[in-house]
Amino acid sequence: MWKVCKYTLLDLARNRFAMGYTILLFAVSTGMFMIEGDNTKALITLSQVVLALTPLLALVFTIIYFYNQYEFTVLLAVQPIGRRSIVLAQFLAVSSALLAAFMLGVGLPVLAWAPGAVGATLLVSGAALTTVFCAVGAWIAVTQRDRARAVGIGLVTWVFLVLVYDSLLLWLMFAFSDRPIEPLIVPLAALNPIDLSRMLIMLRIDLAALLGYTGAVYHQFFGSTGGMVVSLLALMLWTALPCWWAVRAFARKDL
Amino acid sequence: MDRIIFEGLGKRYGRQWALRGVNARFVPGEVVMVIGPNGSGKTTLIKCLLGLVRATEGAITVNGTAVSSDPAYRAAIGYMPQLAEFPKELTVEQLLRMMNDIRGARTGSTDERLFAELGVESLLDKRVSALSGGMRQKVSAVLAFRYRPNILVLDEPTAGLDPVSAGRLLDAVLRARREGATVLITSHIMEEVQRLGDRVAYLQDGRLRFTLAPETITSATGESALSQALPKYISQLAPHDVEGL
Repeated sequence: MWKVCKYTLLDLARNRFAMGYTILLFAVSTGMFMIEGDNTKALITLSQVVLALTPLLALVFTIIYFYNQYEFTVLLAVQPIGRRSIVLAQFLAVSSALLAAFMLGVGLPVLAWAPGAVGATLLVSGAALTTVFCAVGAWIAVTQRDRARAVGIGLVTWVFLVLVYDSLLLWLMFAFSDRPIEPLIVPLAALNPIDLSRMLIMLRIDLAALLGYTGAVYHQFFGSTGGMVVSLLALMLWTALPCWWAVRAFARKDL
Repeated sequence: MDRIIFEGLGKRYGRQWALRGVNARFVPGEVVMVIGPNGSGKTTLIKCLLGLVRATEGAITVNGTAVSSDPAYRAAIGYMPQLAEFPKELTVEQLLRMMNDIRGARTGSTDERLFAELGVESLLDKRVSALSGGMRQKVSAVLAFRYRPNILVLDEPTAGLDPVSAGRLLDAVLRARREGATVLITSHIMEEVQRLGDRVAYLQDGRLRFTLAPETITSATGESALSQALPKYISQLAPHDVEGL
């Protein structure tokens, strides 16, 4: 697995999209800190960009990269190595490359302008989202035969998790505001990795007013170290499950 | 001992059988040309052998080992796909090193003859993205022969190659046969089929209609060229005749 991962990483290191992504993140992050006088405000704005942009680009890039490598993946599948190793290696390489791009593009400006707990939480959340959506992208790419359909499913997934899901939760909370619905909202919000990451950042900044209903409830339940740990574990599960499904689907797939 | 055995092999995609009831045995030191119309099941047959698709029914034995999810049997197989694609940003040297690492090949253990004959040395420092389609085919051919496989599976190997390189590749096939390899080649070029093939395996509608020597087909029809003999021979077959197994 490591052999395939190593050479896939070498390929990705010269990938123009990965370089462009790094530059874009660096330009956006640096721009935020330079425009905003207050570094905390800049971090809040940057976190909104990271929460929306990172999942989208990780998802689309992973799907397209997997499709572009399809013929070579078939050639690898004819070699004396297991299929599980191939798909795991490709997932590890793509997520590592995008993590490196994120750390260079966002991590360096954050370290320069806003080092500290809030900045670190933003980086951890962005890194977690990158890994999660690489795993989801790999799963979509492995299970769909048609590239356009796979990208379409990726985009719908992103729109649903970024916009629709939170709106549904808000509607649910409004609709049942006269009932004790909080115990239900917390696990429901935990089902969305973007909400989870938003919580991690916002709880650290301690600006509950910016969080909306979902965030307020989360603040109540997860405003503690234990809550942070549970959120991180949920994000890890969000990576592990799609990754496992992708590996299982690829192992059974007719190539 | 038979090197490749297909026993009652069948593959179904949904309700459609792509391959059905294929029985065949291939021995060391023979070149088998797998031919047939588009959609006849050639690719599926090869993919079953390579472990890329799972057979719906029947069994395949390679070098005495049943084809299963254990990938070890593929160490004995060299494969050249019809369309060669590699990671675009790797150099050819990195690509060869990657395959060496995957195959666990030690220095000096690889077969470098085709590497020299096709002039791949001059491509070593080039990135895959800078290679033409023909150059990628050469690299693909080198990879197929490099690890001294005793089974070679070549999918339309000369498509996209210049005549000189195509000739050298076909010479390499004959050399591999002399050295005891079993070679399966899909091709639509009848001159190639007649020149190389010890046997012709003809597939139609997912069924193996016959596996015969080219000379048997030409002598049965009175034609000297296989390109003319084959259509005549096929037209003489009853719809479900299966011969020469």
